[in-house]
Amino acid sequence: MSGLHPYTQLALAALLPALAWLVPGAPAPAITLGTAVSLVLGTPRAPRRLAAVAAAAAPFWVFLLLLHPPARAALLGLRLTTLLCTAAWLGAVLASGRLVEALVARGWSARVAYLFGGTLAAVPLVRAHARRVSEAQRCRGLASRGGLVARLRAVHALVLPVVLSVLHQLDERVLALETRGLGAAVHRTPLDPPGDSGAQALVRWGAVAACVAALAARVA
Amino acid sequence: MTLLGLERVSFWYPASDRPALRDVSLRVGRGEIVALVGNVGAGCSTLLSVAAGLAPRVTGGRLEGTVTFPGPGTTGEGRALLLPVPWTQLSGMGASVRDEVAFGPANLGWPLARIRAAAERAMAGAAVAHLADRDPLTLSGGELQRVMLAGVLAMEPALLLLDEPTAELDGDGAAALWALVRDEAGRGAAVIVATTDLDAVPVVAHRVVWLADGRVRADATPTTVFGDDAIWRDGPGGPTVAEVWRTAGLAPPWPVSVTMAARAR
Repeated sequence: MSGLHPYTQLALAALLPALAWLVPGAPAPAITLGTAVSLVLGTPRAPRRLAAVAAAAAPFWVFLLLLHPPARAALLGLRLTTLLCTAAWLGAVLASGRLVEALVARGWSARVAYLFGGTLAAVPLVRAHARRVSEAQRCRGLASRGGLVARLRAVHALVLPVVLSVLHQLDERVLALETRGLGAAVHRTPLDPPGDSGAQALVRWGAVAACVAALAARVA
Repeated sequence: MTLLGLERVSFWYPASDRPALRDVSLRVGRGEIVALVGNVGAGCSTLLSVAAGLAPRVTGGRLEGTVTFPGPGTTGEGRALLLPVPWTQLSGMGASVRDEVAFGPANLGWPLARIRAAAERAMAGAAVAHLADRDPLTLSGGELQRVMLAGVLAMEPALLLLDEPTAELDGDGAAALWALVRDEAGRGAAVIVATTDLDAVPVVAHRVVWLADGRVRADATPTTVFGDDAIWRDGPGGPTVAEVWRTAGLAPPWPVSVTMAARAR
């Protein structure tokens, strides 16, 4: 799935939550969630990703069960979990560099393409930075491993330095990107544009058609 | 031939009444290596940003005076700046070092063959060719800084601006970088480098510009600038060799490199 054209990946990632929300009744979100889970299972470190999805979805399920009757809560919970699970799959398969290459190859300016790709690229960069901050804090005696309480305490001591330093780095990153020609007036040369095919284009248009049909059925 | 000219340039950062640069005039020619030295807050990094065309265009703020550079107005087209922290310079777009190095040339719209050739040449020059297929995020700080240098060199800038380029490098890495700087000047690039590696300055630079509180306090050869007692008293000091001579109570001019000291013995 990581070899698919980024547009196809985005289309699939949009299709599943859209169908989960648009098609009435519980079976649709159950099917979309099953599909999303099976997609995640095909990515590296799948159990970790699914655990993260479960951890993110759990509070929503609790509140939904408190606020709604069980059937309604289950319906909304399945839809939300589909959304989270699809996002986890997309995060695993969509490479920011490939997305930028795809956008540039389709005529988008490098600056606009980087706005989309840079958001995704920020995730591993911030993660790497957080790891360095964590190591630095551990050197200063912070216990960031062990039980849940110790980890929660560690998060408190890590969040502020990570957020502040990331904000501080933004200025320097902008300078670095400018000096490397991101603001150049010419069109960027795609280095290795992702391959596309008629079949993938068909899948994308099929996804759009499915969403439109579901919306029409919902409105009618 | 002058490539970069600054005429009575003053610069204020946004929301600051105090100028970071005051009345700075500077000319740098092709093939010339100019070292910027000064205490923390002297304005070296700001001067590089102005020279790169980033201040005030990107940083904001106010500039008075004239900056002349014959290349296109946008940075990355003729002039490039290497910042001191490698992590903040990663584009995040390259899954490999090769693609990261090619990021800049690709933005300049060069043909693919030229981009690939320039990237390979720059990686070889910065001694990172063996890392070409590695994920940049897995590199050490020193390796990554060399990759970022390659990324800048791959753009074949006429004006190369380096801000503390040896900050993340070990002794061998720093020596290789200074050799590369000389090579770049040899091919006709103008180089301005802000550095605290004062031992390297006399070996590498043709001229030293000493900045203090945003003003140019001295602009002359390394021997002249480091031979003045003022830079030792009010500034960042000088090379270790000169410091030994000075501490021993010997009269100036002090040797500023080991080679000069050996000759003076």
